[in-house]
Amino acid sequence: MKMRRRGLIALGLVLVVLALVARQWMQHRNQPEPVPVAPDTTAASVRTATLWFASADGDSLVMELRDLPEQGELHARLSALVAALEQGPRGDGSRTLPQGTALLQDYLDETGLLTLDLSLPFRQSFQGGARVEELVVGSLVRTVSANVPEAKRIRIVCGGAAFSSLGGHFPLDRPLDPDDWP
Amino acid sequence: MRRTLAAGLAAALLVAPRPAGAQPASAAAATRSNAAPATATRSAAPSDSSRVPLGLGVPSIPVSRVGGIDVVRANDLAWLLKAARSWNADVRKLVLNSGGHRLTFTDGNPFVIADDHTLLLAHPVFSLGGELQIPVELAQAMPDENAWPRLGYDARAGEMRAAPADGYVGSPRVITRAGDTELVIPTEHPELARVVGRGRARFRLRFRGAFAGVLPDSLPEDGLLRNLRIQTIPGGLSFELAVDPAAGGWRLELAPSHDAVTLTFDRAAGSLEPFAPEPPPGPRPMHTVVLDPGHGGVDTGVQSDGVLEKTLTLDLAKALADELRRRAGAHVLLTRTDDRDLSQLGRAEVANAPKPDLVVSLHFGMSLDPRAKGGAAWCAPASASATVLEAPGAGPAVGAGRTQVAGLLELLPWRDAATAHAVESRALAEDLGRALEHDGFGPMSVRERMPLPLMGVTAPGVLLECGTLSDVAERARILAPNGIHRLATAIADGLLAWQRGE
Repeated sequence: MKMRRRGLIALGLVLVVLALVARQWMQHRNQPEPVPVAPDTTAASVRTATLWFASADGDSLVMELRDLPEQGELHARLSALVAALEQGPRGDGSRTLPQGTALLQDYLDETGLLTLDLSLPFRQSFQGGARVEELVVGSLVRTVSANVPEAKRIRIVCGGAAFSSLGGHFPLDRPLDPDDWP
Repeated sequence: MRRTLAAGLAAALLVAPRPAGAQPASAAAATRSNAAPATATRSAAPSDSSRVPLGLGVPSIPVSRVGGIDVVRANDLAWLLKAARSWNADVRKLVLNSGGHRLTFTDGNPFVIADDHTLLLAHPVFSLGGELQIPVELAQAMPDENAWPRLGYDARAGEMRAAPADGYVGSPRVITRAGDTELVIPTEHPELARVVGRGRARFRLRFRGAFAGVLPDSLPEDGLLRNLRIQTIPGGLSFELAVDPAAGGWRLELAPSHDAVTLTFDRAAGSLEPFAPEPPPGPRPMHTVVLDPGHGGVDTGVQSDGVLEKTLTLDLAKALADELRRRAGAHVLLTRTDDRDLSQLGRAEVANAPKPDLVVSLHFGMSLDPRAKGGAAWCAPASASATVLEAPGAGPAVGAGRTQVAGLLELLPWRDAATAHAVESRALAEDLGRALEHDGFGPMSVRERMPLPLMGVTAPGVLLECGTLSDVAERARILAPNGIHRLATAIADGLLAWQRGE
């Protein structure tokens, strides 16, 4: 009788433990997936770049902040900026640089004149009127000026050659002063 | 995330009247704090908004309270300092590199390494949501030497601010003396001040940095300043002034103390700089008009579903010419009357030959973004610097682009000739925009930027982008059977309004 009683108690305890384990397991199972937290600062060295894209109404430029890998060399920094512009905005707005535009060469002289030599699609794939042309040049000048403060003036050439205008509306035959593209 | 970045935001601060007796807010330009070096000293988190005053164009990041500690997020701080950041997960260290300086934070540690300084914060840095949280006492603990970024914590505003690299611009003072008016503007970098617009109606003085001051309640009635406001621009701000027509000239100079600039307007021109030429009041002449149909020949302009811009602009120019001949009796010439390519020099030569009263270059736009619509008018800015030479024997003013000013001859580079007519051109652009919107086109905007087709043109002129062909509704309206005629009528309305001096 005593043995039977002990057996029942032991069985009861086992059942209670099993019930607790099952409950714990069910609770764990019903938990939502962990919500990804905001991007950690754990990546490699990065820098927040200021990029300018066309606004949704195509009438002005809008700013977007984007983390880009930290680059030591000027050419790598500029290439990353041009590539980011070419990819287009992640938020609202629209891309300014024609698809396929890339930085071929750059040269910064001692007076702060930065020459950007862009690939041919910059000219060949350009489509748009005067407003689009102004936005294309403005987004490039503003973006470079905001992230490369050593560039005091910016000259844009394409495929290694100077050209007078992108779409025939604004002159590009002389260096551009970032202060003139507010 | 709330980030106040005035750069890129075109916020305008108008002269705002205050109640009588009210005192101005922060009126002086910021000065660098003389706080003792913070090396290895424990720093609490006092609010110190005077260290980096609130102002237009001052970047800031939000402060949040976590467990009773006021903190900023490490990513926000990196943005504020324009710093590159790298994280070593093994030792849980975050390094921010900014302008040759290096800040190292360690998770769970109140010590911050700033180059070769050790800063001790009142609370440890900690991790939350996958991101380090930095106690705000860092702002006051930052070294005050070697061009370290200057940070300030403002508990009232709930934000941490960074002093702008180009410093502050303070409250302007307006001083009137017999005959002249002085505008004295304190600034940490007076050498960066630049006059970028010299028309009486729109005189612009540009600064780098941020504005931390107040504008005067009112302007002296006996002075030469009629209006004063501030416009923020990326990296700086611009004082936008309206100057009395009685002013004869202006001069910009460093104040004797070298911590301000003084802009002087005088009734007598004397040896002062001249203003940009302005149109006489009242009706304007419109005897001869040159219309420039954009593009042509191999240069088709934009293309939209088989419609070529060069064809539309020629059709529009012909319709507009008929309208102007009929309604204004004007002598109208076109830079091209068929499908041919013209060089920029060729266009300017054709446009200048009849000594026109105005030139309009006609264009249409297109955008890859289907949401874009409307048009814009570009006119030459009144910012080109002119060379003024003494010309005692000069005769009366002859032709556009060469303006005699009280015995002086003003010389402009050929490509900037149109800037001599910037004020009339701006009025023309605004009248055209109003007329087009009134007749159901647009929305229209007015931009001051030298357009290529007007380079070398010696008359008031605009480049008019009449509409966006990629917008379905707009394209249908323009290509409708009477669309070009309706557009020509609207443009003619604008030109006639300009002629009447409205």
